[in-house]
Amino acid sequence: MSFLSVQNHRPFHISDIPVISVSEFENSIRQSLQAGFRLISLFALNPEKSEKTVLAVLSNPLTSSISLTATQFSKDDHRFNSFAADFPQTNYFECELAEENLIIPNGHPWLRPVRKQSTVLGDQPYSLYQMEGEEVHEVAVGPIHAGVIEPGHFRFQCHGELVYHLEIVLGYQKRGIENLLLSANSRQQTILCESITGDTTIGHSMAHVLGIEALAHTNVSLKTQVLRSIAEELERVAMHLAGLGGIANDIGYAIGASSYGRLRTLVINGLALFCGSRFGKGFLVPGGLQFDPDEEAIEKLKSNLTTVLNDVSAINLVLFDSTSVLARLDHTGTVTREWASEIGMVGPAARASGIDLDTRSQFPYGAYRYFPIPLITLGTGDVFARTRIRALEIEDSIRFIFEQLDNLPAGSTQTKVNDLQPDSGVISVVEGWRGEIVHSLFTGSDGKLTRYKIKDPSFHNWYGLALALRNEAISDFPLCNKSFDLSYAGHDL
Amino acid sequence: MDLSVSLQGLFPFVLILLVSPFLVGLINKQKAILTGRIGAPVWQPYYDLARLSRKETIYATSASFISRIAPVISFSAILFTLLILPIGYVRPLFSFNGDIIVFAYLLGLARFFQILGAMDIGSSFEGMGAAREATFAVFAEPIFFFTLGSLAFISGHTSIYDIYHSIQLDEPSALVFIIVSSISGFILLVTECSRMPIDDPNTHLELTMIHEVMILDNSGIDLFLYQYGSYIKIMVYAVFEASFFNPFSMANEWLGFSVFIVVIFLLTTVIAWVETMIARFKMKSIPQYLLFATAIGILNLLIYTFVR
Repeated sequence: MSFLSVQNHRPFHISDIPVISVSEFENSIRQSLQAGFRLISLFALNPEKSEKTVLAVLSNPLTSSISLTATQFSKDDHRFNSFAADFPQTNYFECELAEENLIIPNGHPWLRPVRKQSTVLGDQPYSLYQMEGEEVHEVAVGPIHAGVIEPGHFRFQCHGELVYHLEIVLGYQKRGIENLLLSANSRQQTILCESITGDTTIGHSMAHVLGIEALAHTNVSLKTQVLRSIAEELERVAMHLAGLGGIANDIGYAIGASSYGRLRTLVINGLALFCGSRFGKGFLVPGGLQFDPDEEAIEKLKSNLTTVLNDVSAINLVLFDSTSVLARLDHTGTVTREWASEIGMVGPAARASGIDLDTRSQFPYGAYRYFPIPLITLGTGDVFARTRIRALEIEDSIRFIFEQLDNLPAGSTQTKVNDLQPDSGVISVVEGWRGEIVHSLFTGSDGKLTRYKIKDPSFHNWYGLALALRNEAISDFPLCNKSFDLSYAGHDL
Repeated sequence: MDLSVSLQGLFPFVLILLVSPFLVGLINKQKAILTGRIGAPVWQPYYDLARLSRKETIYATSASFISRIAPVISFSAILFTLLILPIGYVRPLFSFNGDIIVFAYLLGLARFFQILGAMDIGSSFEGMGAAREATFAVFAEPIFFFTLGSLAFISGHTSIYDIYHSIQLDEPSALVFIIVSSISGFILLVTECSRMPIDDPNTHLELTMIHEVMILDNSGIDLFLYQYGSYIKIMVYAVFEASFFNPFSMANEWLGFSVFIVVIFLLTTVIAWVETMIARFKMKSIPQYLLFATAIGILNLLIYTFVR
């Protein structure tokens, strides 16, 4: 047995994970990647030790299974053979592993810093790709941008208006959240997880509380699960509306920008009715919810959402009927299905490229186990598809929320959380609005968290943005960027 | 030329200088209303100019003397066009054979120095903006000459004042001229004044901008001159556009003046509507759009030639 097969949000004993030799490890990962598994996390279980145990988490969306395998590196030999040349989806994970644990992938085609400068490459500063030629020019954007947005550096290799290559350098927001989480108490942990990326508060805190509850063998009431899913869908609707507004704004379509912005306010105000925070901060806690919304709040939310549903279908009709809008969105920033699956893209961006990948239906958790949500995919993979899929998901999410609000189960929203099981681990996969969020939690012999690994969907998708820009006009970069709508903070952690 | 005629000639100059920020305020206000907002007061552009004039002017360390003189030359060139531009029956201060060429190239000069100023700093954004501005200017220039130039050719006059007053409304071909010229005139306005769908005046995205990116490094009085210059340019092209309807004033001066005011107001509404309801074009399809305007200008000329 070279793999331990586990379920999403089901705890397991760390000792059950098979620890195999490095070459076996390489072979088995290679075989499963070949068989259609996706690598969703790769990290050292004991980063503080000199003999590091590296755990690979693979998932197969078709069979809804998660496989774990581990290997131990000796003190002197920190090398393994890279998979990145054959399976580009592992490229960034290997860079991260090298940067954090100095475990070097042999034959990696593009070893580069992920969040910190010059740890992988010794003391050599990393030099970005550069094209040479008479008429080639380089455009550097950021890390300080013209708008009030997060820092990130973009380097374009251009020929006139045409972009040949875009390289994205991030890491300016690294806060060391994974380590902070280990030294925090349980209340602080929830707050830290809410702040991983400010726009996915519910998504990340959902992954966190589900992980903690699994480790503590605590079951929460159906009402809690349903309300959590409602909050998650509200966040999805709000952020998709914000994204559509941003796309309309970037193409100068003022009527769209102002309408979506107005509707987003209604939705996040609905979230505020639940917990007093428009971004859902403080709503989810291990063991349940901090607030139990009353009848009045639910009625108000319903009336808000009725307005949103009506107005959003009207404005969608205008947006997707406008020739000038379609001329901008169609065939812009295309990521083909092959590319998207090769680099392991996730979330609405992957679904827009025709990849069946949605944690809510493939690894159902919480209320999605009882009330499934449809999986939507589109084929073209351009800005249009990424815009359209968000519009479609808004409608589905609002429908889901209405169904749940109409049949809200009775019960308590608070359960006592038991102590965390010692020497256990759990893989918590959740579909945030941006895509698959993976939290991997491990406890030590005293039942305290010893390792907390986070993977935000932006970790995969930034590379998708770089590919979308190939052979595209540089003036379309802001539009492509907005269509992916990625997080800097989520990537930098 | 006696004094009263000269003073009369200053009328368009003073009028445009005073009214042009209001016109931009009017566009922004209508745009706000169309998108369901209250919006800034129509006087906002005046406040903005007053604020800019009080601010300190900062130059990049890489700036040469070009950066200092470019805004002044650019602004003065735009001011000079006001002395050539007629409003209705008021004879401008300077009106002579061939002033149509001077008019076009004064605006060209203004643009040239703006481009130089943008390239002087050495910023890649500004260089990109300058390249775009220069490229699209190449496509915009024929629009001007095929719109006004075709009529100059037909009427035999080469002074803007004479050209306008040689249009006779009793000819049906004049009506065709008015309609076709208004369309290409509008496209010219949108291009030269960096409005939608060519350029988005409200964007903050340095990679997509054309006009706004060229003035990224300007501040204080230099930015004041560029902003005021762009306001005046909108007014100049609006007057240029509204003057196609001047033939009405052949019958009645008051009617002509009312039509003039109404057309300018309608123009701000059209600009606001376009900026609300139409997405910006892809950069690579802008030349096609501009060539379309040139093409209908040529069509105009053919119609005129064959209908006669």
